[in-house]
Amino acid sequence: MDRRQILSVQACSKAFPGVQAFDKVDFDLYEGEIHCVVGENGAGKSTFIKMLSGALRPDEGTITIDGNVYTFLTPSQAHELGITTIYQEISLAPDLTVAENIFVGREFTNRLGLVDYRRLNREARDLLNNLNIRLDVEALVDKLSVPERQSVQIAKAMAWQARVFILDEPTATYSSSEIDNLLALVRGIAETGVGIIYISHHLEEVFTIHDRITVLRDGKKVVTHTQNEVSEQQIISEMVGRDLSMFYTRERLAIDYDSVVRFEHFSGGVVKDVSLEIYKGEIVGLAGMVGSGRTDLARLIFGATRKVSGQVIRNEQPIDIANPGQAIKAGLSMLTEDRQKTGLILNQSIKWNVSIVHLANSNGAFINEKDEADNVLCCTQAINVKAQSIDQDAGSLSGGNQQKVVLAKWLYADSEIIIFDEPTRGIDIGSKEEIYKLMVELARQGKYILMLSSDMPELIAMCDRVLVMRRGEIVGRVNREELTEETILSYSIGGAL
Amino acid sequence: MSQGSTQSLATSTANKKTKTGFFNKRNRSVWYLFGLLVIAIIIMSLLDDNFLTVGNIFNVLNQQSTLGIVTMGIAMAMIAGCLDLTVGNMLACVASIAAILLIRDISDSVVIVLACLAGLSFGFINGVIVTKSRIDSFIATLGLMSIYQGLALIIPQGNNIYLQGRFGSFGTTKVGGVVPLPVVYFVSVTILAYLVMRYTKYGRNLYVIGGNREAAYLAGISIERHRIIAYSVSGLLVGFTSLIVISRIGQSQPAMGVSYPLETIAAAVIGGVALNGGRGSIPGVFLGVILLGLIRNSLNLMRVPSFYQYVMLGAVVIIAVSLSNLGSFHRSGSNN
Repeated sequence: MDRRQILSVQACSKAFPGVQAFDKVDFDLYEGEIHCVVGENGAGKSTFIKMLSGALRPDEGTITIDGNVYTFLTPSQAHELGITTIYQEISLAPDLTVAENIFVGREFTNRLGLVDYRRLNREARDLLNNLNIRLDVEALVDKLSVPERQSVQIAKAMAWQARVFILDEPTATYSSSEIDNLLALVRGIAETGVGIIYISHHLEEVFTIHDRITVLRDGKKVVTHTQNEVSEQQIISEMVGRDLSMFYTRERLAIDYDSVVRFEHFSGGVVKDVSLEIYKGEIVGLAGMVGSGRTDLARLIFGATRKVSGQVIRNEQPIDIANPGQAIKAGLSMLTEDRQKTGLILNQSIKWNVSIVHLANSNGAFINEKDEADNVLCCTQAINVKAQSIDQDAGSLSGGNQQKVVLAKWLYADSEIIIFDEPTRGIDIGSKEEIYKLMVELARQGKYILMLSSDMPELIAMCDRVLVMRRGEIVGRVNREELTEETILSYSIGGAL
Repeated sequence: MSQGSTQSLATSTANKKTKTGFFNKRNRSVWYLFGLLVIAIIIMSLLDDNFLTVGNIFNVLNQQSTLGIVTMGIAMAMIAGCLDLTVGNMLACVASIAAILLIRDISDSVVIVLACLAGLSFGFINGVIVTKSRIDSFIATLGLMSIYQGLALIIPQGNNIYLQGRFGSFGTTKVGGVVPLPVVYFVSVTILAYLVMRYTKYGRNLYVIGGNREAAYLAGISIERHRIIAYSVSGLLVGFTSLIVISRIGQSQPAMGVSYPLETIAAAVIGGVALNGGRGSIPGVFLGVILLGLIRNSLNLMRVPSFYQYVMLGAVVIIAVSLSNLGSFHRSGSNN
């Protein structure tokens, strides 16, 4: 390869409490190269981006840019060196025009010190023409579609003389023609000599555009492939492959196939006409990459976001659910994925946190404080919450115990259909196992359980059946016998099967 | 389940009783406030012999009773994460409505009911506008405040309305010759508010909504309904208070109550209510109202001119709010 190396990373590591997020990774990028990075959720992709953009400091290792060696970058350094990250959330000013956004902070001025709009628009137009982006430079960004905004963002970065582009899941919400346009744009800017790090869950995109592909797994680099030397199937097998000892072993229970809850034709937001069913005593997993629409589906079912269509049918009886209150009365529970933001009131006691759902949905106007304390104590003991007393602030507990408090809250509500969204994210092994045990116990009691998770070993260990979502649809239904990381991943990133 | 840990909740069953007593951590700020109040009283009684007399104490309570009743409603709305700036001008509105009815010889009891209903309706309208418009409650009630200010002038055509001796006993009678009736109202409203906030699901839900709106929604609590009720209660209390005020001064004035938005919020915050909701207790609010009254009373006793009192009141409010923000900042810091 006779092209010049722009960026290289040598033996970079980053640890967070309890997890080695990035482990002695080497990586390099040449001028004009499109280097794709793949890996499942939690493989270390976002840690990598954050280290390159200056948001995180590596614990060890070096980053070399144009021959200069750095032990870490600050955000402003990364910016000066021309490293630009294009995130999914767009960071443009909606009430400014395309041209104003492209040159924001560096407006051309005339002799009076006022903005020279003619020059601003002319330069913006030239830039967009060079990049083959067809947009009116005087249009307000607010009026543009998401893909159009993304191209404005790319143009803006080009105007800043960016040399390294990091695209993080750029196509999450795109239609296929929009994806084609973006890929063409990316290829165009690579031809001008910019190096591109392209991160995506969607293997067909990666295969269309890549010069090289690096596979990450559990924070380690598995391998870097050059163009056309590898099949999609091989990439998938490289992304998985965990040690079997990491898998929890649960007791298998008989499932009652005579009782069933059906979720039919749910649509809304990114979710497109999804149907699924859960039998009594069954734990059904819902897999999929970040942005696949898993959580959106759970919120639609629970009435937390407005749906276009969809109905819950329990034992042939349709149930109307328009808001969470109705969902709870119909016997549903939903444990959200973000316990701090949507699960708990951090500055209130464990007792209050646990009794919320029960109090809000039971009859009567008054609180019986003794009953409340007894029941809360009972529910928190059932899941072994470790705390000095139930009057302790929920916010003062460890992550695992906070999650158990959330669980105790829904146990107290005593629902039949329980949706767990990432029930064990960011908690210690001990708490994880206790939560798994409890879920199996709930299944034994004949509950209907839907478990959303990014953690594949967990899905494989816990679920009787796993449904895989991708771009808002269920693309795969895998029974327990065929349940491997490879099958789930093939469906969720759209590899060949 | 492993029961081995000494921290496990199972072992704490025994001391459950002691933890839920009146001296627990959550009541700590109320006790601080109580201590502060005692210190203030001691200092004032040393500075001025007239301060610690039964007459003066009831005088302070009586003066604060109107503000206090309104503050109870404000505190409930604030705990649910809503501000209400309309109370002062709404008070003037209802006062003029009540005064007009009274001079038309409508019986006292009917006027009392109608004034309370008027306040309730205004509060309900506030609540509907704040929740349905999804505007920040500060801005929404700021706009509404101006509307009530206008109504308070339009209804009596800009005039003071004199009651000419009618309706005097409602706000001036002394029970047993000692305890002014408004103090009885104030204490009763405080007790009711305390019971609602502590022992009803509705009260608890207000704390939950203020503490974490999204968690409350996902727990099946109707945020709109709870907030509309809180505003309605606040309006009802304003209506009731307007009756005390006109009875006491024998007239309605379009400019009555202009200091209420600031003073009610100040009293609530001094009493430990968080500006962004979720925290605060009714006993604390009661003490906050009294403390504010003591400060004013002592300034009066020390003959500080009223012009300067405004300056000092403002300073007290800013200090109290910034201290309360410091506290909550510290809290959220330690949580993460």
